[in-house]
Amino acid sequence: MSSLRTESLVDVTMPQMGVSVAEGTVVAWRVAVGDRIEAEQTICDISTDKIDTEVPAPATGVVAELLVDVDQTVEVGVVMARIATGDGAAGAPAETQPAPAAAASAQTQPAPAAAVSAEGEPTAAVAAAGAPAAGPGRGDAPGRRYSPVVSRIAAEHGVDLSAVRGTGRGGRVRKQDVLAVVNGNGHAAAAEEPPLHIESPYRPDPPAAPRAPAAPAVVADGGLSRMRRQIGQHMKRSLDTAATCTTWAEVDMSRVQAARRTLGVTALAFVARATIDALREHPALNAWLDGDDYTRCEDVNLGIAVSLGDDGLIVPVIHRAHELSVEGLAARIKDIARRARSRELTADDVQGGTFTITNPGQFGSIMATPIINLPQVGILDLEAIVKRPVVVTDADGNDSIAIRPMTILGLSWDHRALDGALSAQFLATVRRRLEDLPA
Amino acid sequence: MAVMTYLQAISAALRDELRADERVLMMGEDIGVFGGAFKVTDGFAAEFGTDRVMDTPLAESAIIGCAVGAAVVGMRPVCEMQFADFISCGFDQLVNVAGKMHYRQGLAVPIVVRLPSGGGFSGGPFHSQNPEALFMHSPGIKVVAPSTAEDAKGLLHAAIHDPNPVCFMEHKHLYRRVKGEVPDGVFETPFSARVARSGSDLVVIAYGAMVDVALAATEDLEGASIEVLDLRSLVPLDEAAILDSVARCSKVVIVDEANMTCAAGAQVAALVAEKAFEDLDGPVVRVATPDVPIPFSPPLEQAVLPGVDRVKEACRELLAY
Repeated sequence: MSSLRTESLVDVTMPQMGVSVAEGTVVAWRVAVGDRIEAEQTICDISTDKIDTEVPAPATGVVAELLVDVDQTVEVGVVMARIATGDGAAGAPAETQPAPAAAASAQTQPAPAAAVSAEGEPTAAVAAAGAPAAGPGRGDAPGRRYSPVVSRIAAEHGVDLSAVRGTGRGGRVRKQDVLAVVNGNGHAAAAEEPPLHIESPYRPDPPAAPRAPAAPAVVADGGLSRMRRQIGQHMKRSLDTAATCTTWAEVDMSRVQAARRTLGVTALAFVARATIDALREHPALNAWLDGDDYTRCEDVNLGIAVSLGDDGLIVPVIHRAHELSVEGLAARIKDIARRARSRELTADDVQGGTFTITNPGQFGSIMATPIINLPQVGILDLEAIVKRPVVVTDADGNDSIAIRPMTILGLSWDHRALDGALSAQFLATVRRRLEDLPA
Repeated sequence: MAVMTYLQAISAALRDELRADERVLMMGEDIGVFGGAFKVTDGFAAEFGTDRVMDTPLAESAIIGCAVGAAVVGMRPVCEMQFADFISCGFDQLVNVAGKMHYRQGLAVPIVVRLPSGGGFSGGPFHSQNPEALFMHSPGIKVVAPSTAEDAKGLLHAAIHDPNPVCFMEHKHLYRRVKGEVPDGVFETPFSARVARSGSDLVVIAYGAMVDVALAATEDLEGASIEVLDLRSLVPLDEAAILDSVARCSKVVIVDEANMTCAAGAQVAALVAEKAFEDLDGPVVRVATPDVPIPFSPPLEQAVLPGVDRVKEACRELLAY
């Protein structure tokens, strides 16, 4: 068999996901050794500190080796797997079977069956040649059935039911049997955790500490997702590093509301445009601060925080946003939000930001203290636009109370890079740009 | 609080309503001078007069038909069928006239039809039936079936106050066998289920006289934790309570004293199969009277009615599943 191996091996390496990415973590393998794979078919999922993505196979063939374990982090360029291409590809999986068994099967089976085995279905051939009832890995209880509740609990907790000992009639697995496994008292180890979760919340209870009967129900969702952990790390690092201070300004959005109705775009696009203008006037806020290394950025690369629901949050960047009109910004915001939610962002989409806007106001909240997206030095928070009674002064200097759509803009800024006067001036500029829109 | 029998609780509810609300009146066979076949209305004619506690001809269609008319003009009539079995004679007035009046003409029909039901005392095929499912199948009629003295009073108050026709299934076998504390005065028991005993391994769902049977059968089943759910109301059926019990227990035995086919328990079983499928750890088991008339013969009657032994056996089988 080895004489037939004329294949060549193609390496699958950890890809370079954008310039600043140095390493990545394998989240899940989509294939096993011996599987056939087509070029461009996803071979594994990886996660970098910028983005989670899929790695396409560089060639068609058979997976020969998987060299990196799930959850292992390796540097860019490291070989993660090898794909066997060419003549030997079909023979590769057979190599993973013990040679004597394959030989025995070839001897005891008629020629056509042996040919099948050589085609790459060794398990079938081995099972046929060996004792039929005691085939390896085959049913300790063939045709076992499970009740709906047992199936559901097993699926929720990743329990392999074939390994659970049943105490019901005829060895049937009952609800209490699968619950015993879930609670750690059973006869089978729980199956491997789903790849996006760090660890199971289920641990054997310490025998001396009986659980209080009135303990609140716990939703078992398996700990924090990878994205949540990364958000947590970034946010904590920012708070630990930056001298974060938040300044608010109240803005009359009457002109914006009128204009957005005309253009059919969101208020966020107007705030983005006003922010860009203010950044041009006060370039000290369009900057990076890395340690003592302060860099003013030429372009305004505007990050927009996009919620991914329960999964978390991502900040795709609109590069060279200063070149875009309100309508252009609105279209780009819509596009990046859609791509973020359908997980289509590339690594370059989420890096290079020089200033960030976050806009959670659609739920009616009115103020927040956003956390700066390091190494940027400022982040602007747009909350709900709410009609309020305000004092307005007419051209003759007469005061009256009017109903106006108001919002509170919050600017979190890094006191290491600038001072409060500048942040207040910046907010005043944003406000002026929004309130003085052409009617 | 006073300790009353189930029957005394029903009498007390009726008396309280007659005293409190002059729109309330009663109609039935021998309920006035004689005080009712079971003495539920004993002394009522003397206290309230025969205008409000009326003896009627032996004509259930007339009783219910008159009650519907009185209800439409603002009265709150309570009809007594001497035995629940006899309601077949008043079926059209109840199902077609009372039940559909609101739908057809927008008129409320606040009547209560009291149905002394159930067997267990050798009453034979005409005096032992449980016809509640017939009315569950007829839109526009509510159906309640208390199992305790307190619920008998509270559900009867709520039934009289309800703007819809209500069939009040009072179980004859419970009349003088069930006793309990009953709060004083007028109070309403909601048309919802009640956990008679909570448990976690298996739930027995029952109503009326079968609640006691379920409790007795599962008092000590080799230490298993058995819940007993008393439906109390069949229309409306308390889906949330049923599904909650099934979610916790995963095994279900449903007991009906009525004949098996299309009984109230069949509706409960269908509900569980559809909405609690993923909570089930075994087949939904029913215990009911087979589809035969109730025999006169005492041993034969005991053989067909669901008793403690049959419920026990069903629970044991399902627990071992």
